Amino acid sequence: MAIPGSGILTGMATTMRNLFAPKVTRQYPEERPQMPERWRGRLDLIYDPFGEHKCEVCFQCAQVCPVEAIDMSGFDSQGNRIRYGMPEIYDERKDPNAYRRAGLEARPMRNAARWDEVIDTAFVDQVIDGFHSRPEALVAIFSAIQARYGYLPERALRRISDRMVIHWAQVFGAAGLGGFRLLPAEGHVITVCTCAACRFAGGEALLRESERLLGVRAGESTPDGAFTLETSSDVAAGAIAPAVRIDTLVYGPLTPEHLGHLVEQRRGGAAGTSANGGGNGRRRRTAAAARKG
Amino acid sequence: MDLSLLLGLGRFVLATTLLLLLTVPTAFVVIQLELKVIALMQLRLGPNRVGPRGLFQSTIHGFKVLAKEDTVPDQADRATFTLAPWMVYMAAAMSMLVIPFAPGFVAADFNIGVVYFFAILGLSVVGLLVAGWSSYNKYSLLGGLRSAAQMVSYEIPLTLSVVGVVILTGSLNFTQIINHQLAHGWNVWWQLLGFPIFFIAATAEINRAPFDLVEADSEIVAGPFTEYSGMRFGFFFFAEYVALFIMSAILVTLFFGGYLAPWPFPAQLSGFIGTLYGLIWFFAKTYFFIFVAIWMRTTLPRIRVDQLMGVAWKVLLPLSLINLFGTAIAVVAFKL
Repeated sequence: MAIPGSGILTGMATTMRNLFAPKVTRQYPEERPQMPERWRGRLDLIYDPFGEHKCEVCFQCAQVCPVEAIDMSGFDSQGNRIRYGMPEIYDERKDPNAYRRAGLEARPMRNAARWDEVIDTAFVDQVIDGFHSRPEALVAIFSAIQARYGYLPERALRRISDRMVIHWAQVFGAAGLGGFRLLPAEGHVITVCTCAACRFAGGEALLRESERLLGVRAGESTPDGAFTLETSSDVAAGAIAPAVRIDTLVYGPLTPEHLGHLVEQRRGGAAGTSANGGGNGRRRRTAAAARKG
Repeated sequence: MDLSLLLGLGRFVLATTLLLLLTVPTAFVVIQLELKVIALMQLRLGPNRVGPRGLFQSTIHGFKVLAKEDTVPDQADRATFTLAPWMVYMAAAMSMLVIPFAPGFVAADFNIGVVYFFAILGLSVVGLLVAGWSSYNKYSLLGGLRSAAQMVSYEIPLTLSVVGVVILTGSLNFTQIINHQLAHGWNVWWQLLGFPIFFIAATAEINRAPFDLVEADSEIVAGPFTEYSGMRFGFFFFAEYVALFIMSAILVTLFFGGYLAPWPFPAQLSGFIGTLYGLIWFFAKTYFFIFVAIWMRTTLPRIRVDQLMGVAWKVLLPLSLINLFGTAIAVVAFKL
């Protein structure tokens, strides 16, 4: 039988025990919970006050995701459908074994070069030090590295991120702004000039013609690895507009027919004679030649 | 003018000034104790940022209210609104006058100290009622009415339970009450019914949980203090904790031998050592009962208004009458 008032005593005993019990408060800024190493917090899309996604589909989150779990697509300011696919998209990133298990044909990784690329970090450090690690010199640093390797190796970007203490997403975002290759150019690099003078003199037609001839869009390589098409605004400084640079040679003024002739000359020709530098590019080309043979 | 009268007057002014100054650090200490103990009992850490181990948290709170804007509602009765905090605070501070802190260490050694104490402490209900009425706010008014009902109701069993002690010791003077306990042991052993009645009624009298209906936050915002801000609220707040200290001190004085040690030795310490020894025991006991009050506040939920009045009139009042007559009969019968 419960004695009247014994509940009060029970409660008082409980609070007295609690007085000496270990406390549950966590001193947050000083004491952080032990989270798994790759824990990144809750992922969420942020909305502005009008209920619109604030996401601008810049892909930076997808680029930095350590487990590469983010695939995304959206529309840019022009209304074009864009998707995360700078190195590759998730489907293309899948393990070949997964395809085999699924009974599908194994597909090679498109830029397997990323995985074992070897770069000279001393050179990268030297470049960074040359610019005194100034973040505003990032583009100049990129230029110096691309001049050496022909593209911006991911390892070099990581090195820049580490050395200059700039977030990886910012380094990658800056590198993706334009003017830089993030993958080794494959085969002959055809650069169509997009400066004002060249476009006025018919550069657009040259670009369309080269896209038609190669079957790829600007910034892409042909499936057989023989050509890489890209655009730049500083091929010939307008002197011989419209101009096209193939590897290191600049041609102009060109007509679409003349460009077709130049491309046909190199199609099926010896890919190994192209002049773009970099160990990875060479290795890739050898591999491509081996596949062909 | 007679010199001895002048000396007495000077001593009185000095003592009251010191006591008034004592109320502020006392309130700081009691508030700090409450913050920390409640936190620890709720498995929290409590204040630990301001000062070493967070010891200055309540002090910072105190100075914070000084810096806050002092607002008066448009429709409020400005004069009484301003006067109310002062009344409540002074009621608490003035009743400290008769508390014997140590042998000979008492501001005013009245021969009617007990009567004075409960008369002055009863004034705080007037302050609360005035505060509630003058705020022009229904919650304030409800709180003021509640405080009137509660404090007047509980003053009866409170005073009746003290009368038991007075009969037992034969004096209204606190020092003589303590001296009686030196000879006969603590009053709590002779007042086994009187002590719990006094304890419960005292808790209700100073609006402590579980009897904190006067400023029941979840029911009437903050009771009479709803419209008060800045230092005026600070006065109420301080008065509340000073009242807690005073009630514990009086409880210790009446039932637990005041500044006496729990054992008879050393029998007579004199001079500075004796005063210090008495002070230590007095504060140790007082803060123990403050701790008990805080402990109760952590544990017990607030009771309802009807339960509150029921306990006062149906339980405590009959019990205190039984205690009063029982004590009287025992004193006469056994010549205690």
